[in-house]
Amino acid sequence: MRQAGTYSGMVISGKTGPHLLPLARIKKIMKKSGEEVKMISGESPIVFSKACELFIKELTQRSWMVTIKGKTRTLSKEDVASAVLATDLFDFLLNLVSQSAPAPLHPKPPN
Amino acid sequence: MEPMDIVGKSKEDASLPKATMTKIIKEMLPPDVRVARDAQDLLIECCVEFINLISSESNEVCNREDKRTIAPEHVLKALQALGFGEYIEEVYAAYEQHKIETMQDSLKGGKWSNGAEMTEEEAVAEQQRMFAEARARMNGGGVAPKQPDPDPSVES
Repeated sequence: MRQAGTYSGMVISGKTGPHLLPLARIKKIMKKSGEEVKMISGESPIVFSKACELFIKELTQRSWMVTIKGKTRTLSKEDVASAVLATDLFDFLLNLVSQSAPAPLHPKPPN
Repeated sequence: MEPMDIVGKSKEDASLPKATMTKIIKEMLPPDVRVARDAQDLLIECCVEFINLISSESNEVCNREDKRTIAPEHVLKALQALGFGEYIEEVYAAYEQHKIETMQDSLKGGKWSNGAEMTEEEAVAEQQRMFAEARARMNGGGVAPKQPDPDPSVES
């Protein structure tokens, strides 16, 4: 049974619509996210794609807020880490960014 | 650099395309701003982690509802549960928009009729209706009167 262009329409049509991110890739990540992931409907990656976009935008924006405090025009890894630390919602990223946290949070070995 | 940097077919290497991610990131920022390369990498990793998180939760939601397939509704509930409720409206709108576009595509294609045969106005009205329905569902605590089949079945 072939779905009416549900997959091929999005990938091939080249629309720069809401689904900028490749759905197959998203599906792959979803599958490896856990041991017993169920089957994934064809449309779920679309929802993910948009959610990811919003997430990245928010994280970028918050990181940028940190950057501009430092009077630099380059968004650095530490800025991203700071944004994560400052946002409760992003607690799930703490482990991921802990290596990039700005200096004060790293106990420096005494000289 | 490790050999793992090469894009492989193994499950471990599932990540998001840098170019696309960079585009999204840059859209958020003033044009003269630079993004350090390692910052970009970190943002991408965060996004993957986000997908993992929402996937796990969606899986749970799906389990609780005794369904075998993770549907967009489960993902939306997961977003809500994890505190990303603000995303839901926009995400749902994008999803509905895609459905409209897909319907239009298949109508243009002319190869198969999905039986809907909606004009564009009707399709937009349908979108509004579905959107309102979803809103009501969200507000009403998730009691859906009926489960609409997400796949336009083409069995004829």
